[in-house]
Amino acid sequence: MTNLDSLFYPKSVALIGASATEEKLGGIVLKNLLGLKGRVYPVNPLYPELMGLKAYPSIRDLPETVDLSIVMRPAAEVPEILRQHAGKARFALIVSAGFAEIGASGLQEELAQIGRDAGVRLVGPNCLGIYNPCHGLDTMFLPHSCLKKPGKGNVAIVSQSGAVVVSLLEAVRRANIGVSKVCNYGNAVDLDAADVYEYLAGDPETRVVISYLESVGNGRRFIEAARLLGDVKPLVVLKAGKGTSGQKAAFSHTGRLAGSYEVFRSILRQFRVREAPDYDSLLDAAKALSCQRPAPGKRVCIITNGGGAGVLAADECMRAGLDVAPLPEPVKEILGSSFPPFYGLGNPIDLTGQVRTEDYRVALNGVRQTYDGFVIIALTAVAGVTLKLAEIVRDFRTEAGKPVVAHVAQGGISGKLTTLLEKSKIPVFPSPERAVRALAMLLRDVG
Amino acid sequence: MTIRDKVQDFLQSQEDREVFREHEVKEFLRGFGINTPRGMFVPSGTAIPSTVSLSYPLVAKVVSSGISSKSDVGGVRLGIGNGDELRSAVTELSLMENGEGVLVEEMARPGFEVIVGGTTDITFGPIVMFGLGGFFVELFRDVSFALAPVTREQAVWLVGETKGGKVLKGFRGKPPLDIDAIADIIVTVSEVMATGLIRTIDLNPVALYLSGALVLDAKMSRL
Repeated sequence: MTNLDSLFYPKSVALIGASATEEKLGGIVLKNLLGLKGRVYPVNPLYPELMGLKAYPSIRDLPETVDLSIVMRPAAEVPEILRQHAGKARFALIVSAGFAEIGASGLQEELAQIGRDAGVRLVGPNCLGIYNPCHGLDTMFLPHSCLKKPGKGNVAIVSQSGAVVVSLLEAVRRANIGVSKVCNYGNAVDLDAADVYEYLAGDPETRVVISYLESVGNGRRFIEAARLLGDVKPLVVLKAGKGTSGQKAAFSHTGRLAGSYEVFRSILRQFRVREAPDYDSLLDAAKALSCQRPAPGKRVCIITNGGGAGVLAADECMRAGLDVAPLPEPVKEILGSSFPPFYGLGNPIDLTGQVRTEDYRVALNGVRQTYDGFVIIALTAVAGVTLKLAEIVRDFRTEAGKPVVAHVAQGGISGKLTTLLEKSKIPVFPSPERAVRALAMLLRDVG
Repeated sequence: MTIRDKVQDFLQSQEDREVFREHEVKEFLRGFGINTPRGMFVPSGTAIPSTVSLSYPLVAKVVSSGISSKSDVGGVRLGIGNGDELRSAVTELSLMENGEGVLVEEMARPGFEVIVGGTTDITFGPIVMFGLGGFFVELFRDVSFALAPVTREQAVWLVGETKGGKVLKGFRGKPPLDIDAIADIIVTVSEVMATGLIRTIDLNPVALYLSGALVLDAKMSRL
């Protein structure tokens, strides 16, 4: 078990390669660090002071051993800088690029050895590092003017890729959810996904973990950490690099068939680790699992005011392994006595273009006991759908305590309705299919 | 004897061979209770024993650790119906390049063909594979993998992970095939792989019946 408190909640941080201006990466990170709930030591031999903080010529000159040192110097200088870290830092986060990702594996291996000898845990190289809004920690060299990061929340993001983590940060903010911890560990010379999973399993701020991976190093250790994390909170993995042609082994038929992605996917399923097939699904899973907790069952009821959108949702349920069970006769009778004869009393329940907002309440109350999860489709181009719907769905979810997702589209009040629903922790998705796939992430018995 | 002991004994008997010969792999498998066709190995340059106790029809296959696909090089004779045919088949196959001998076996009755394999994955180490044989695997890559070793329950799960696994459970009124028998083979292959001493195992095909399973071809190599 790795304790990463010093990495995610450092009491003191050194920045090697700090700079005076936000024109430079070392200045952007220093500016970010001014918000840290802890002590910050800029290191740069050329300045006595940077952004109002006393600067130091080298890490050896710091008055204390820091929890975290951020290294932002050219790759060739990093080994020597790292040697100076012995006894002066617990974690060194190497932002610098120019290692294994460009073929300089020897230089990267040198870092690993120096880290082991110096007793310093390494993050990176070639990474953006850590964002922990609870602690004011932001090691990412992205100016606030370019990227507005999400605020505090319950989603942790663990990503091998820096570019993907930045896109996810933007997307998560737009999805009206917040983050607990974000970690981009880059080339993973030391710290990797498994270490972070172990830590997040015990992190009370984190309810759901989404993770972008290209490779996992030691597969057995990875799957063990993923399984243990998945036992305590939802972990959703997106594996990139699916198109590999299999391990070249002319002798063995099995070897030829064992493409690295096929093996990875099978093993995730063997240990019941959830996989997102693509970027959108990863994001949608984060949103759904951030808002609501997974529940048992797989019977789904779709309530719509547009036939086509309902059929699309039902089709996706079938693909996702969800059960669009027909309405029981007694429920049909109750709804039939409340609704006009032209409403569709099946599953989907079609409230048609002549819907009145209150009809959703009647339908939901009628099916509450029968189903495990609910898809609400609200197409707002008709006059009958009002903002009152947000309140109806919120009340229903409070009473039912079961997963509910929504698809809202067609303009008019759709933006306002989406905001109101998401404030009430009903995640809203831009297509019927995405709403259904998100619901599948909330239902545990989908197989 | 533990599985590891059995594997180690086998490896010792193979001296410095990297890729093992079919009849020896099959004997090794029989040591775990896995069924293979009745047969005999005729080393190159030796005569077929006169007291052949096998029942016709027979199949004859060239045995060589240097040939990866026997049928591609014409190294297999099927439907051998009598002693004359057997002698000429064995003589021809004995003359093949790299041939070390000929394996003569009773021809198995037709079954549903599946594949059980094991390989050492670069990321995950020993893994076990199940797939449907014939065109299912060639065309659809309908295979599934699991970390080795697997339990019996996981082996049954692994079968169900393939699309074609449904066929085994009885499709369109056909009776179900012996999933227990194939699960036993999967468990054994996974346990052998999990010793970390073996690079690959290929049981392809395995003929699966309403009752029982028969490994028709078997390859194995050392890590």
